[in-house]
This record gives sequence, structure tokens and C-alpha cells, in this order.
Amino acid sequence: MIRTALKTVFAHKLRLALTALSVMMGVAFIAGTFIFTDTINDTFGQLFDDIYEGQDIIVQASTEFDVGFSGPPPIDEEVLDLVVAVPGVEVAEGGVQSSATIFDKDDEGIIPTGPPTLGASLTDDLRLAGNAGLREGRVPETGSEVAIDAATADSNDLVVGDVVKIETPVVTDTYEIVGIIRFGDSDNLAGATFAGFELETAQQVLDLEGQYSAITVIVEDGASVDVVRNSIAVALPEGVEAVSAADEAAEQSEALSESLGFLQNALLIFALVAVFVATFIIQNTFRIIVRQRQKELALMRAVGATGSQVVWMVVIEALVVGLVASILGLAFGFVIAGLLTAGMSAVGFDLPSTAATLAPRTIIVGMAVGVVVTIASAVLPAIRASRIPPVAALQDVDITLRMSDRRRTTIGVVLLVLGMGGILNGLFGDVVDFGPLDELTAIGVGAILVFLAVSMLSSLVVKPAARFLGWPMIKLDNMTGNLAVENSVRKPRRTATTASALMIGLALVTFFFVLGDSIKSSASASIEEGLRADYVVSIDGFSGGFSPALGDELREQPEIGAVTSLRFGFWDNDGSEDFVMGLDTDTVDETIFLGVVQGSTEALGEGGVFVQEDIFNDNDWVLGDTVPMGFVATGLQHVEIVGVFTEANVVQANYLVGMDFHEANFAGYGADLDFVLAVNAADGADADSARAVVDATASEYAGATVRDQVEYRESQENQVNQILVLFNGLLFLAVIIAVIGIVNTLALSIFERTREIGLLRAVGTSRWQIRRMITWEAMIVAIIGAVLGIVVGLFFGVSVTAALASQGIDVLSIPLGQIIGLVIFGAIAGLLAAILPARRASKLNILEAISYH
Amino acid sequence: MTTMQAISGTTAARLDGGSKIYGAGDTEVRALDNVTVEFEAGRYTAIMGPSGSGKSTLLHCTAGLDDLSDGRVYIGDVELGSLKEKDLTLLRREKVGFVFQAFNLIPTLNARENVLLPMLIAGEDHDDAWFEQVVGILGLGDRLSHRPSELSGGQQQRVAAARALVSRPEIIFADEPSGNLDSKSAAELLDFMRRAVKEFGQTIVMVTHDPVAASYADRVVFLEDGKIVDELHNPTTDSVIDRMRQFGA
Repeated sequence: MIRTALKTVFAHKLRLALTALSVMMGVAFIAGTFIFTDTINDTFGQLFDDIYEGQDIIVQASTEFDVGFSGPPPIDEEVLDLVVAVPGVEVAEGGVQSSATIFDKDDEGIIPTGPPTLGASLTDDLRLAGNAGLREGRVPETGSEVAIDAATADSNDLVVGDVVKIETPVVTDTYEIVGIIRFGDSDNLAGATFAGFELETAQQVLDLEGQYSAITVIVEDGASVDVVRNSIAVALPEGVEAVSAADEAAEQSEALSESLGFLQNALLIFALVAVFVATFIIQNTFRIIVRQRQKELALMRAVGATGSQVVWMVVIEALVVGLVASILGLAFGFVIAGLLTAGMSAVGFDLPSTAATLAPRTIIVGMAVGVVVTIASAVLPAIRASRIPPVAALQDVDITLRMSDRRRTTIGVVLLVLGMGGILNGLFGDVVDFGPLDELTAIGVGAILVFLAVSMLSSLVVKPAARFLGWPMIKLDNMTGNLAVENSVRKPRRTATTASALMIGLALVTFFFVLGDSIKSSASASIEEGLRADYVVSIDGFSGGFSPALGDELREQPEIGAVTSLRFGFWDNDGSEDFVMGLDTDTVDETIFLGVVQGSTEALGEGGVFVQEDIFNDNDWVLGDTVPMGFVATGLQHVEIVGVFTEANVVQANYLVGMDFHEANFAGYGADLDFVLAVNAADGADADSARAVVDATASEYAGATVRDQVEYRESQENQVNQILVLFNGLLFLAVIIAVIGIVNTLALSIFERTREIGLLRAVGTSRWQIRRMITWEAMIVAIIGAVLGIVVGLFFGVSVTAALASQGIDVLSIPLGQIIGLVIFGAIAGLLAAILPARRASKLNILEAISYH
Repeated sequence: MTTMQAISGTTAARLDGGSKIYGAGDTEVRALDNVTVEFEAGRYTAIMGPSGSGKSTLLHCTAGLDDLSDGRVYIGDVELGSLKEKDLTLLRREKVGFVFQAFNLIPTLNARENVLLPMLIAGEDHDDAWFEQVVGILGLGDRLSHRPSELSGGQQQRVAAARALVSRPEIIFADEPSGNLDSKSAAELLDFMRRAVKEFGQTIVMVTHDPVAASYADRVVFLEDGKIVDELHNPTTDSVIDRMRQFGA
């Protein structure tokens, strides 16, 4: 029996290939996601091991809260004397690290997108330098010397002896390159640029005078790291800790994995969408196959096969398809991982490229999903197959074993109501308590139910929809158009399922279009309303900001009026990471409309915090209450609420503090950089000359970009657009799978209609007309899928946007152009899907076709 | 009354030294072995022969559905071997009609559309009077809006015959047209085909193994082992049966 099943599989290679292809792509997406994130994890795990290579103990500030990416605050340099005095310490040195931007020969700052621009002290005891080593030259010895990483040097034609400009938080100066640094086998540290200074110089230019970021210790031969570490710990003052270098490497690596976990989950959701679409295709394929083999299966029953043997035959066929597809999917996963890396890099996250990591978990999950999904999709058609009575072998009738239309409609409606209920409940909450189901699960399950419901109900609309869509085709191409329309409605459920596979992907695309457009419109509206400044200076890329000196320079210019600095900061809000923005309270009212409803910005300048109104109300706070804010540098602070504001969109934070407060709680390790400057032209100043002054001043600072109101709005829209492109790129795979589904269904339908096509050819239909007939049919199916997807996507988009109104997305905007574009996309997808089946149909041998049984 | 302006004595189709060989070497089968035959315009010719005699191959090759291994085939003055696929399709659409044993109709089209199929494919208008006359004679008038699945076997074959006739082709090829019908429906169909020849001057070539069907023809060509072995003019059922008996001998 197994042999019979296997024979069937291999007798239909094309069918096998097309079915396997849809499973393969789903598995590939899952495998690709795992490979991609595992590779990043491994790369960074290795990176941290390398950084601490050869080191035994790290002495650094201990922090109560661990938020943001800045690491612990600096420690006093006198701590070093305490450490050196501990018995068992062979060598101990302090070092500093912050940011420094190297300029190229064209006087442009070299800023990688994603990785940081590092500035640090360099030790001449290379045992303490991790895996860093000199490729050529020597370490800097004076205040005018620097060593830079080999990658930056090579890609910018910088060599030992060149003089380069480097910008640090304190000063922009020129230095002579005296050394080129490599890190183990890499030319840089995971893409970061690196400028190394002699220690005292580093302390000075990195704004860390009298301080160390950390002290690195190597213990004497034979001494126990743990024992020495304990001895050091005893000697240390409060707020400073000693940890083993190995623990520190592991901890940093783990922290990074955690932040990658979010990315992995997001990607897996897209992978699951692809798998979900694939199940539609596989199920449809098996249903058609079983129907086509009805006679064959009935004959097997007639000669004595039991119903369960027939089920097994179909399931074994599915198992083979699933196995083959999963193995291919795993292999193709490497390609997907490569595409993900390229995609991330396209939106600004440059990731270091290393050998891809294939973890056992990737293989197990990939294989399991591929095989289980395929078999699960085949089970229903298989059971249906087992119910074919033996007599069917003798009769030339189509024995329909399927759910009645009424039952299908009832189930569809019930699923639709449940699904929409789940989504709305998840979004707007509290209507029904699902207990363990949290909001996201309710929305996710709801969406799946809606998709299933629409695919069940859509068979009801296939006929009118096809006739409507086919009308222009019939006008344009009378006979072939007519045949195409009639063919597409012959098996409404088959057409509905095929279209539904496309519906899923395009519904999500529509959803992102609506949500994205609403975010853009809301952002534009709030910028228009809330941004009073003429110009905004902000940092491009992901570094922390630019030197406050830029703001100070601007304030001195006669063409410039009010200048408001905004500084970003992470804090621990009851265990989760939150943001606070520090701002110049004496100018903010001139540059940014905050919508202050209680308190005043003058009062904020003296201390305390402003809270956004919705959060203020949700917490039932009153003025004078305190917010417990956990800071890395200063620990837990109970900060008094001195005001309430409404407009959080321009300042991009729900909590605002004065600049003095910000400096007190974030000072000393990089957060004292300006994140944004809101700049006004002076009263009566010429707009062009004011702009010229801002441009000229900002051009001296690496990464600082000047935009006027319109440009700033556009840049915010561009950010949303980039994310849209990324998301829709990820959904593209699900759409491709759906198009493969159309190819598959068409190919199988054409197989069923072999004699008919032969007859059409015999009575004078040209090959070209046959091709057109198939193409029209594919386009009808695809456009139905696109339109269904748009309808479902609009529901998702509108309800999610409505739910986010309180989060600042208060303008609902439906991008009609993009949605019409999707319909056209559907038509083109149908056109492409038809190419192969249409060619096959048009090339049928007439004589064989008309005598085909 | 509209009639085919066929002139008796001209040739509607001709096979000249036609051979069709399947396989090669030991497995070589000569389905047609150097056959030369003419089908006169305005005549009803039946091709008979035992199973495997090559009668269907003769029909397929003459109709341009299959190509010859050797020799030439003409429809009117056109030599089919020289035609490209596209021209062959046009020739089938314009000059040839077909009636097959079964599965003659497109299931998604109604009877009227099936009858008019060649014109619809060509995007051409049809002659309404001629259409009415054909469907009238065939007794299909009240069934025109029905789909094939709603028609009896006899009605389906009559629709197929109407389709073959309504485009007024130079020649109609029929492959066992009555093979699947009960005797009453078969008689109606065959009688109609004879009327088409007699009254409208249509040319028909029909493959059959049924002596009764063959007796409707003007001429019967007998085929055995890929060769024409005999022919009868103005056959009767009995004369055909007598001739057929000789094959067994």
C-alpha cells in the first residue's frame, strides 16, 4: 500500500513540485528567521567573548536599573589604586569609552547605520585589550595621536601618518593616525568605527576627566579569579562592583539576545502567515487530487481496500510531500536569512556577516511545521476519499461528498462573528474576559477566524464577483472571456479557496497601508500643530545625538531666536523600559506646543516631571504625586509631578523633565548629548539667511541634519514608509505562495478539462485563444482574492487605528491610490500565475486530449 | 433556401500516398500504409474496417488533427503538410467540421453557444436564417438555452452535428457519431446527416463500424491493415454486412 502511495506521488512530479513548493516556502521562512537571529546571536556572543578575551575581572559601577544601551555610569579614577593594592592582581588599568566620530577626507563624518561610533582609551598592555591588536603602527602616546580600526582606515583610504578630524562630545580636533587596529580576525567591531586615544586624552575629549568607564584586571598566575574578585569587592566603595570578565561577556550577550527576541517573534509572525497561506494551498491541492482520483480510489475500495487504507494512502502521499518540502525549505532558509540580512541593511541596520548558524532547534521546528501542516491539510480530503463508495468506480458520476452550502454558510458566519468579536475585544478590551487569552492572542486568533470565515463564505460571492469582473473581459474578448468566466465559477469553492490564499496576504498588506497612512497623517497633523520651531536639527542613524556645543553655537548667532535642546533618556518604569525627554524649559513654549493643561514649564525648570494627560488620568494621579523612576546613574528617584501635558507626539515621550534634572540623572556617560534641537529664526531675520546659518553650523557636526517643518514632516513619513516596505516585503513571500496556489489550482483544473480543451482546439480555437482563456480565469481568481483581502484589511486597519486613537494615531487615513494599486497588483499576479498553466494547456496534443479519459 | 454550392465531381479532400507509422524497428506499426483516397464534394462517405484497421487514423490525418509520416493530404486545394500550426487551426475553424463519438460539447456553454462555437471563436457573425434552419431540422429549437448536462445523449450529438454544419465547412469529419446512441437516436442523427448531404450539398466523411450507419452513406471505403481493400457505392445494410464478412474469412 505504501508502494502504491509512493508510486502515485512520483507519477505526478509537477503536482508534487507545486504542492511542495508552497510548504517549502513556509518552512524556509521559519528556518530563515531562526538562522538569521541565531547567527546574529552567535556573532555578538563571540564578539563579547572577544572583547573580554584574556581579561579576568572587570570593575565598574553597579547599577540598580539596567535600561537603555549605555552601560553603567563611570567610576572615580581613584578606585584604581584600591584595586591595584589587592593581593593577587597582576595588572589593573582603567579605561574610558564613549563616542567619537571620525571624518573622512571629504570632511564628512563616517557614521555607520546601526553600529555605534566608538571612542575609547587604548592601553599599551595588549593583554588588557581583549582581542584588539595592532595591524600596523603603534598605540597613541600623545594628545594629538589616534589609532583607528582597519575597516574604517581601508574603506576611507586612511593610512598611518594621515591627519584626521575627530568629533567627540567635548571637542572637534585633528589627530595623527599612528596605528591601525584589528579585532581578532575582524577589521572592526561588528561594524562600529573605532578611535583609540591615549588614556588621559581620552578622558579629556570623552568628557570623563578623573573617571573610568571600567577597570580591567588580570590576576597573577596561579591565583583564583574568584578569590581575587572577592578580595577586590571587599576593597571597593559602595556603588562599584567587581565581576568576572566571563560573566560580563555572557551578561551582555544575553541582554542582546533579549532585545533580538522581539525581532525574532516579529519575523516568526510573518513566517506563520506564510505557513497559514500554504495550508490553504495544500488543502486545496489535496482536495482536487482526491476528487480527480475518485475513480481510482473507488476501484481500490472495490477490490477490497478498507476506508482507512485509503486514508493512509493519501496521508502517506502528504507525508512524502511534507518531508521533501521541509528538507528543501530548510536549505532555502539560508537564502531567506540572507534576504533578511539584506533587508535589515536596506532600512539601516548593518549587521556583521558571519557564517550562518543552523541550530538543531531550527531543523526540528522547520521539519515539524512542514510535515504536520502538510499532513493536517491532507487529513480532511483523505477522510473524504475514504467515504467514496466502491460503486463510484463503475459509474461516470461525480460523487459529491462535501459539506452542504447551508452548513458551510452557518459555520462561516459563526466563525466571522467570533473572529471579529475577538479582534474588537482585543482592541477595545473589557467587553468579554477571555481569561488566559491576552489582548494580542485575542486579536491573532480573531484574525485567523476571520480569514477562515471569509474563505468559507467567499464561495457564495464567487459567481456574482466573477461575472462582474469578467464583464470587461467578455466585452474585450468575447468567447475566451466568456469561457474564462464560466470556468472560474464551475467549482466556486475551489476558486474561493484559491482566492482566499491571496486574500490573507493582501489583507495584511492593506492593513499596514491603512495603519501606516493613518500614522503618517497623524504624525503630520501633530507636527503641524505641535511644532512651532522653524527648523529641527536631529541625528540620523542610531547614535545618541550630537554635542551640546552645536546648540550653544546656534544660540550665539544673531539670525537665530529661541533654541530648545531635547535630550533623550531611558528609565525603568516599574520593571519595563520607558523614555523621558529632558528639555530647555525657558524656550520650549516658543518652539514646541506641549498642550500644558496643569502646571507651567517654568516650574518644570526647577525640577519634577510632566506627565502626558492620558497616562496621568489612567494612574489616577494628582499634581504633587510622585512617579518612581529608576535611573541607571542615580537609582530609584521619586519624582514629583509638577504638570500635565497633552501633545506627546513632537517630543516623542510621555514624561518630560527639565534640563537640570536630566543632567543630574543621566550625566557622565553619553546621555548628555542633544537628541533634537528645535530652532527658531530670530524675529525679523531673513528666513534664507537663518536657514543658511543653521545649515552651516550643523555641518560641522557629524550626523546632525537640519530640516524645516515640511522636510521634518517628510522625514517622519519616510520612516513609516521604510517600515511599511519592510513589512510588505516580509508579506511578499505569503503572496508568492498564494500565487503558486493559483498556478497549482489552474494546472489541476486544466488537467481535468483536458478533453474540453482538446475539443476547443479541434473546432478551431487557436493556441493563443486558449492562453487568453486561462489567463482571464487566473486574473478573475486573483482579483477576487485581492478585493476580498482589501475588504478584510480595511476592517483590520480601521479597527486597529480606532483602537490606537489614544496613542496619538487619531487621524484615520485610507490610501486609495495604494489600494487601487493592490487590485492592479492582483490582476498582474493572476497574469503571471497563468503563464505556465496556459502554456501547458495551449500545447496539449489535440488528438491525445480528445481521446483522454 | 440556402444550399452548399458544391459541384459534384470536385474533390473536397484527398489523401495521396499517405502513410502513418508508429514506433520503429520490431515495434513498428503501419496504421496507414501508402493510402490514396479522394472524398468527393457533396458526397457522404463512410469508412469501415475492423478494429485496428487504421480507419480512425485515416480520419484524423485527413482532418489535420494528426500528421502523416509520409505522403500528402489536401483539403480543397490546400496541402496540410505545408501549413503552420496557426494556419492549420484557421483551416479547422473555417473549412472543417467535427462530430466525435462523445464529449463533443463544452459543458460551460449552452446548446446555442455550442452550436455557434466556431463563429464565436472566430469572432464572426453567423447567418441567422441558416442557424434557425439547422436547429429547426435537428429539433433543437426549445433546447437551445440548456447546458449539455441537461441534454440527452441524442440531443448532445445533434447539437454537435449542428455545430459542424452551421459554419458551412467544406467537409465534415464524423468519428463514430452514433456510437454511443440508442438505435432511435442514432437513426435520427444519421438521417439528418444524409439530409445535409442531399439537401445542402454538404460533404461528410464518417468513420463507423456499424453497417447500419454505413448504409446511410453514398459510398463505403473498406480499410484493412492500413490499406484500402475495397469500396461500395450506394450501400445497403446487407451489402455492407456481406462485405464485412469477408474480413473474418
